[in-house]
Amino acid sequence: MAKDMTLLWGSGSPPCWRVQIALEEKNLQGYNQKLLSFEKGEHKSKEVLEINPRGQLPAFKHGKIILNESYAACLYLENQFKSQGTQLIPEGAAEVGLMYQLIFEAQPLAQKIGEVLYYNWKVPEGERHDSAVQRNKEALKEEMKIWEGHLQGCGDFLVGKSFSLADVIIFPVFAYFIRNGGSEERYPNVAAYYKKLRDRPSIKKTWPPTWIDGPGMGTLKDI
Amino acid sequence: MAAKSMTLLWGSGSCPCWRAMIALEEKNLQGYNHKLLSFDKMEHKSQQVLDINPRGQLPSFKHGDNIVNDSYAICFYLESQFQNQGNRLIPDAAEERALMYQRMFEGQSFYEKLNNVIYYDLFVPEEERHASALSRNKEALKAELGLWEAHLQKSPGSFLAGSSFSLADVVVFPTMAYLFRFGLSEGRYPKLGEYYALLKDRPSIKASWPPHWLENPKGHEALKDF
Repeated sequence: MAKDMTLLWGSGSPPCWRVQIALEEKNLQGYNQKLLSFEKGEHKSKEVLEINPRGQLPAFKHGKIILNESYAACLYLENQFKSQGTQLIPEGAAEVGLMYQLIFEAQPLAQKIGEVLYYNWKVPEGERHDSAVQRNKEALKEEMKIWEGHLQGCGDFLVGKSFSLADVIIFPVFAYFIRNGGSEERYPNVAAYYKKLRDRPSIKKTWPPTWIDGPGMGTLKDI
Repeated sequence: MAAKSMTLLWGSGSCPCWRAMIALEEKNLQGYNHKLLSFDKMEHKSQQVLDINPRGQLPSFKHGDNIVNDSYAICFYLESQFQNQGNRLIPDAAEERALMYQRMFEGQSFYEKLNNVIYYDLFVPEEERHASALSRNKEALKAELGLWEAHLQKSPGSFLAGSSFSLADVVVFPTMAYLFRFGLSEGRYPKLGEYYALLKDRPSIKASWPPHWLENPKGHEALKDF
């Protein structure tokens, strides 16, 4: 099964990390994989474009099936391999509803982090405005406060008492925030959740290799 | 009856709201409680919305005590809880299901690129607007349209995931409808035009068509020259 799978990925990319965590959780170790460099533009290489015409990572194949969106790959893996590994979609309407609600609420969170971290990369010099930079920072602050609230009284996992797709999808985003200087003092609930899960086997095993070498940039330290 | 314990707060013409309404129709959940609110009058920030959705956004949706406010989340939740009633919206076959997931999430990029063109002035304060940025957004949307035209050419069936209507169509059709509402040429994008024509009279879609589009059949022209 895993032998028919290929993942092209980049280190430190939350979308790539999600798929790696899901593959571990579903006991699909042994998949073919290739680490590519965003800095060297390898995400735009022919080998990626052949799987993903959008030139983005992750690019994932399972036999003839191609899934280039992290949520799509995670949902596919859980549904296709429901009976092996960890059950990632809970039972019960309330927990299912909460899980889906959280994974989609995580999209504005990831987007707002990107708007701050990648402003200069996304916006050409002649179009940049301090007012926009400020607004993006305020928006991320507000978003982090919402998540700090969501995690109030949270157990070890985002939904109920078990690890779920919510954790697969959202843990990498919090880790990314902290890696890039996000304050653990200002967001103690987020920090506590992060510390609880970072040693989970599937997460530890797939920890971004480029993060092991040393601390990240402190770009988000004022958020 | 399940629908009686559901409440949807929505706004006319909002793609996310429309997705939720199509899903409710497809799952035979007509009869849900609903309230049409006005974005123009800022009703999406009213207390009744904030009580369900602290983000002050529409759609806001409750099923009993379960609150699910994101349109994709609503769609997945409804299909999982009502799998055996109405139309099956997630195919059984692995390839079709995977293609459905892939198109659903590409659909988010599609929707974003459309909004970056038609709502440029709404999203960007006046002092930050640049013709170069809008121009770039238009090029990005054109490229995206090309991708979807190709997706439909290659699809094994008439729907986005193949031969059956699925959640991919539920979430992406409203974006397609917007293209034509804003003047996109069916001549230049024949596959998109065919897809739109195929689905616009589907009962769930017809039943949830934005009321103000019916009142004002003449749309806008932002995409006429694409």
